[in-house]
Amino acid sequence: MDTSNKRLIQRLMSRIPIKMLRTTLGKWGRLTEVQLKSMNLTQSKWALTEKLIAICEENELEVKHLTELEMIYIIDNPNQGMWHTFQLMDPEDDAQSVELTQFKEQFKSHIRELVRQVSVKMKKHTDEAVWIRIAWGDAFSRPNHLKPTYVVHHLQTPYVFVTSLTAKQKPLLSQALVLSTRHQAIKDANLSGRKLTAIRDLMMRQYQQVFPTKYPSPLTEHNPTVSNPHIGREQAEPAANRLQMACEAFGGGMLPQLQSAVYKLETKFRDQTNKTMTEREEPFKCVVKFASTNLLESLRNCASSGIASTPVTPLLSSIPLKGRNYFVITDNGPGPSSKTDQPQN
Amino acid sequence: MSVLNPFSKLPGLNTANILLVESEEQFQQSLADALVEETAATVNVRLAKSLPLPLENEEDRPRIDLVAFIINLTSELSFQSAEASLKFLDPGYFLGKVCFMVTNARNTAVPTERLDAVRKLAASLHCPLLFAEDQTPDGVTNATERLLSILKVAAGLVPMTTALYLSSLTRCTVPPDIDQPSFD
Amino acid sequence: MPPGADTPEMERHQNSVTRTPLNSVVVQRRSKSKSYRLSYRSCLGATSRLCFTPALTARRLNTSRRAPKSHNITEKVNPEKLALLVKTEWQLSYVSPLYQFRHTQLKSYSRQLSAFIAAEKQQGLAVEVEGPQKTFRVSFSLVQGMAESDDDAETVLIQIHSKPLFARQDEPQRPVWSGWLTCINGNPDYLRSLPKDFICLPLFGSSGAEALTTLVKSWFQQFFDCCFGPLEISHTCLQWLMALWTNCHTESSIQHLKMIWTLPVVPPLQVTYTVNSEDAWELWSSVRKEKEKENKAGEMAKDEEENSIDIEEVTGFMQGLKSHFYRHFRLDLSAGSLDQVSTALGSAKYKGRIKISNSRYMITTLTLLTECALLKMPI
Repeated sequence: MDTSNKRLIQRLMSRIPIKMLRTTLGKWGRLTEVQLKSMNLTQSKWALTEKLIAICEENELEVKHLTELEMIYIIDNPNQGMWHTFQLMDPEDDAQSVELTQFKEQFKSHIRELVRQVSVKMKKHTDEAVWIRIAWGDAFSRPNHLKPTYVVHHLQTPYVFVTSLTAKQKPLLSQALVLSTRHQAIKDANLSGRKLTAIRDLMMRQYQQVFPTKYPSPLTEHNPTVSNPHIGREQAEPAANRLQMACEAFGGGMLPQLQSAVYKLETKFRDQTNKTMTEREEPFKCVVKFASTNLLESLRNCASSGIASTPVTPLLSSIPLKGRNYFVITDNGPGPSSKTDQPQN
Repeated sequence: MSVLNPFSKLPGLNTANILLVESEEQFQQSLADALVEETAATVNVRLAKSLPLPLENEEDRPRIDLVAFIINLTSELSFQSAEASLKFLDPGYFLGKVCFMVTNARNTAVPTERLDAVRKLAASLHCPLLFAEDQTPDGVTNATERLLSILKVAAGLVPMTTALYLSSLTRCTVPPDIDQPSFD
Repeated sequence: MPPGADTPEMERHQNSVTRTPLNSVVVQRRSKSKSYRLSYRSCLGATSRLCFTPALTARRLNTSRRAPKSHNITEKVNPEKLALLVKTEWQLSYVSPLYQFRHTQLKSYSRQLSAFIAAEKQQGLAVEVEGPQKTFRVSFSLVQGMAESDDDAETVLIQIHSKPLFARQDEPQRPVWSGWLTCINGNPDYLRSLPKDFICLPLFGSSGAEALTTLVKSWFQQFFDCCFGPLEISHTCLQWLMALWTNCHTESSIQHLKMIWTLPVVPPLQVTYTVNSEDAWELWSSVRKEKEKENKAGEMAKDEEENSIDIEEVTGFMQGLKSHFYRHFRLDLSAGSLDQVSTALGSAKYKGRIKISNSRYMITTLTLLTECALLKMPI
């Protein structure tokens, strides 16, 4: 076994936590029952790594087997690294009929046309998603398995989620994806986050959405109603309204765990108390970043508690509505209300 | 816009009614739960985020004997909101039927200027200023006791004393050199 | 662990008062300084009842201060020493006046602190006596030229060098910890009110292992009968730093003005607001101009005042930034707390961490922090 394979195993072992090791190796299925039992999990990571290297040598396992193990682990634990979202545009007539085998073949052949040295591995996950692992090389070097790009695509949807993609590789991947899914273009959807599941749910609207209604919704009833007859909430109704509006903007119940949203503001400074700045022609340039363990829940709480005025500004409600978390805001025409956001590219 | 009036309604028998105004609506709930536990008199608590109070509750709202503004010193907004609410009170309330309660006064993030501002506000309106601790059950109990002792007087439940008389003793005063800077 | 290392600083101070050989001096000091009769904290204690506010002396941050001038500090202070002070993030503490501290005895202090650390370390390592002995070399030195007024005591720099645990014999010792004690533009009234044997260096900055900081502090407490306490940088102070730094933009670019706010929602929301340097400066100068106009209308403008910055301008600047934010997000930053501000000239965190990146404006920043530290002095 060569050093690059050894390093791949070392790298893998350092990423997989001990308590997940047995199940992951079991799923992999390349170790015999006896070999699996011989992995003593009370040993140190280092010792276990040496043991695994020995077993791999004994079983004559190659790179493709090792990458399989990596994919099994990544698919089970996708919430690592930064995931970026791309959106496929202008589908061809036959885009809806692309099925898995066809996509696999097409994608592999297209990407090999573009890059000679590339190693592609695909796997269909139970939730209909196709996982693609790409190890890139170039004219002078063999595919680097230590820095693979992962792509997740749900067939028949326009969304593609990508992690660890360099600027150089981006056009190559884009072209291969566009051709193999029978679309005409692909664009950056301006949504990124550490949790793949969260950005997927946000993109595909897989969370509880709340719609305006003139009938009292169950939400208002959930509101902490007065338990004691001697305590009266004077502003129970406005509070319920705020909660309703907050939920309409950001969704109800558990929300996808998005960590941050960034706004690049290039708008005029307007403040009646400051004439000098208001008369200034140039925009006031600033960047605002919102961050939280669950951004959407934080923002919903801001609106329901009154820290953010309701109705929620379109700027903030655009995050779930448009499924984006990067915005560039510029003035568009005179009035202060006619702000529009434009994608960065 | 309705202005709250202290004498527009008749008092209830052995009843004291308090209005807790807090923009953050955090501490008021635990205070309310503790206040209604009082057995010597019936205590009714009304909770509000800010004034004015909605007109539609006018009917079933009892006569408010004491208005307590809760100000969280770590939030500038909390003070601004209380300050803005004050103008929806009838001047009659400022004869001993308003008090301020601040929380987080010991928090080091709080600039001293903010406490000074609250102090000046309370002093200019001849109102008492209470300090409370909202994180522990003990703190809530203490704050409740202090509010109750003022409330009972304000509601006329304590013989031989009046809210106006009490307020002349308990009102906040501003030290003469509050603005004195530490340097020349 | 030194004995009683985890007792709170204040308790320790009370203990130390009883240990003071010149107890009468403390009493005398109390009566001598008129305007320092009650510290801010004791005033809070007094008001926690029904607030019959006693006529106490409130001490507050200055509401006006001179605009920062670019000091060519490198001419006055040894550049090598200066390089040790800038570009490091320091954890701040306040220190009560040091009893019988002599700037002339720094050499012997170096020896004593080295010995103290060695002794304390040995206590902690009772089990593994045979391990390689980690030695610490302490050096005290003077940073001459930092003091601004005649009343300021000279700044003292402390460095601790050590070898890594598994270093080779010939490897040189590396600095593992450093700290300093300073007083820049301290209030002359207060400094003069101190008895002769006390040296006031109220601002203490440290950088390095927490354990060493604790040891250094406890050595100071034992030798100079002083007490240490954490020095947070309050909301007002952070706003002052923002304004003072932005005011320097024309001379030395601030590159950006960054503020970090935390809003008290569930889960907590952190807002990072970064403003382009030019725009921040223009907003600042517009706030300055407004004030100048007012001054001229009231014929208040004096030569001196033109160069001073008032708290109204500082809050006006902040108000402008907040209102621009509110106009877009309809979210009121006033509901939250300002945790951190930074520019290319330096950064400051509420938790008492400061980094000064440009030595030219170091004096201004240290003056403000000295003032904050003096407000904390227990009297």
